[in-house]
Amino acid sequence: MSSPESSSSRNFMTTRTVRVLTEAAGLLRAPQRIIPLFSKLASDQLRTTFEHRHLYSYVDATIPTADALRSVVDWIFRAQRPDGGIAAYYSYLTGYSESYPEVTGYIIPTLYDFGRVTGDLTARHAAFLATDWLLSLQMTSGAFPGGLHGSDSGPGNKVQPSVFNTGQILQGLVRAHVETRNVKILKSAVAAGDWLAVIQQTDGSWTGPVAYQGTAHTYYSMVSWALAQLGAESGDARHAAAADRNIDWVLAHVQPSGWIDGINLRGHPAYLHFIAYVIQGTLECGILLRRDDAIQAAAKPAWVLLRKFETHKRLLGTYEPDFRGGQQFACLTGNAQMSCIWLRLFEVTGDLRYLNAALKMNEMLKQLLPVKGRRGVVGGVAGSYPIWGAYQPMRLISWGCKFLADALMLEGRLARKFEAELEKESEASGCA
Amino acid sequence: MRVAILCSSPYSETGCAVAARLAQLGNVPVGALTLPSWDRGTLLRKVGQWGLRDSLQYAVAKLSPGKSTIRKQIRNPYLETALRHGDGVFRSVREVAGTYGFPVATCSDQNSARAVAQLKQWSPDVAIFTGGNILRDQVLNVPRLGIVNAHLALLPEIRGMSSPEWSLLCGVPLGITIHFMDSGVDTGPILLRREFAGADGCDPLADLRHKMIADGIELIAEAVAGLDSGTISAVPQADREKDYQFFVMHEHLKAVATRRLKKARLNPVRGRCDESGGANG
Repeated sequence: MSSPESSSSRNFMTTRTVRVLTEAAGLLRAPQRIIPLFSKLASDQLRTTFEHRHLYSYVDATIPTADALRSVVDWIFRAQRPDGGIAAYYSYLTGYSESYPEVTGYIIPTLYDFGRVTGDLTARHAAFLATDWLLSLQMTSGAFPGGLHGSDSGPGNKVQPSVFNTGQILQGLVRAHVETRNVKILKSAVAAGDWLAVIQQTDGSWTGPVAYQGTAHTYYSMVSWALAQLGAESGDARHAAAADRNIDWVLAHVQPSGWIDGINLRGHPAYLHFIAYVIQGTLECGILLRRDDAIQAAAKPAWVLLRKFETHKRLLGTYEPDFRGGQQFACLTGNAQMSCIWLRLFEVTGDLRYLNAALKMNEMLKQLLPVKGRRGVVGGVAGSYPIWGAYQPMRLISWGCKFLADALMLEGRLARKFEAELEKESEASGCA
Repeated sequence: MRVAILCSSPYSETGCAVAARLAQLGNVPVGALTLPSWDRGTLLRKVGQWGLRDSLQYAVAKLSPGKSTIRKQIRNPYLETALRHGDGVFRSVREVAGTYGFPVATCSDQNSARAVAQLKQWSPDVAIFTGGNILRDQVLNVPRLGIVNAHLALLPEIRGMSSPEWSLLCGVPLGITIHFMDSGVDTGPILLRREFAGADGCDPLADLRHKMIADGIELIAEAVAGLDSGTISAVPQADREKDYQFFVMHEHLKAVATRRLKKARLNPVRGRCDESGGANG
């Protein structure tokens, strides 16, 4: 998730208070961060006060997509720790976090994609290192642990397997196998997939101690997406069947408004990040499993959010059920995810309005990338805009960079394809 | 036929042209209701549409009209017939009103109680919308027959913003639709629907848009005359509930649309907009 799934998160208020105090104490240890922090706070305050976006915002490309892509991927390179894992975030208060297995896993496909798009061998090497590190973390059951690396490994703490992290890491393993044909990686992926299939409930959900907060979540559709990918790669029908069952369970939560219930995060609002997860996992499963019902179920909320974005020029950071409003900050990761979703829907339906919205969303996100500052800041995607918003405040987060990089690469691929097809058809009809 | 004009600003070239053209054809408006020229929203819209330099030049022209070189220029050259008046050019709806003798009122919001009261006082049969706010029912219901809009695309296929550009990209023939406004976006009953045959030689897109606006004004005049004589009646849109709404186009897609415009022949292409109307069907 991109909210670490810690087994010790029973008391949210206490956890939150401890986290805030710990992060604040980070400034005492590294007072050199004070100036960048205040500079960021001041610039976001100025921007939110004076920059009122209007109807024609984001229709002009101000930053070349290739430059922005390079910038966010460079941020990911710099966030790779010596162990090969990728830090969850860079905090303006405490600096880089520990390596984060979940994010490291699903950043692997992004790295390979970037390597293909740019021919950059560094990206491929970074993916190798990340995969190696993840393989070292796998539990004997096939599962992967929750939380930040080392966060629960103190005396008396037992590492807890996590459905969500296992699913997200599985995405990376499947892609790493596609790229390398390394049997060891496939074996690891199959073990993870088997574990997920075995512990799945009969209704298709995942719940119990291996699920975040012990509850079933519809955003675990992302796990199903990974299982569907594995099924396509391993040829083992059990994996695709598990994905199918979970999507059935997710679709049972679809509301007439398009809202998909069952995010089920106690103590947190429904951040756009999680809403987008539900949609993205459902959509990608629909595409992979050839399930039109899943594609339609994903398209409906994606369209609702597209209309909101086009009408208000922004999406809220959180939404109440049935999209009835929410908090005013922007959850930039969720925005980047929505861009990916719209682009995929454009690919599936050919409806240019999805492409148009994604182009504008990407433009907005590019404009918010820090272009100067210290290591950890330049090219990073903030959790929230303004930086003190409720989602991952004061942090630049690796999964935000991942989703923005994905969106920019998708934009490039699909826009080129669209133009080429248009050109071809014009020539075929004698227009050229 | 009692006709009122709704303008986004007293200096709206389209508003001036509609008022002047109707008056030239013998249908002098009963009044024009405009938004103020310098509210923040209008200014932002102008800057967004024209860029900072043109907006500043325009502002100078308004603040010291006697000295400005832009004084006699017309932004949309295809409106020349409507806007020329003797040796001069109508630069504001007040000038048109002065010439033809009808009142002009200003309101901060076309949906405000003041605007509604003013319109009721003029008691129009129809009002012509040339720009401004999204109109609410309290205003839409004032004119006896309704409020008329010229939409620069064929309805119901292309509703909303950047409509000529979307027509080009989606392979829908360019066209103009004159329709009554309702609470939806371009979903009201249709009075006239014409394909636009004048795209040849238009370059860039702004030129196409200018030409279509000029044609739209002629169609408005035709619709008003038709309503007056009873030869035109409004036909409800068949797909009113379908979501054919389009939004402001990103410049990347505009560049593609421009290339298509240059190719002149407007054949249907892949990349059509989902005919089910997105996911909302």
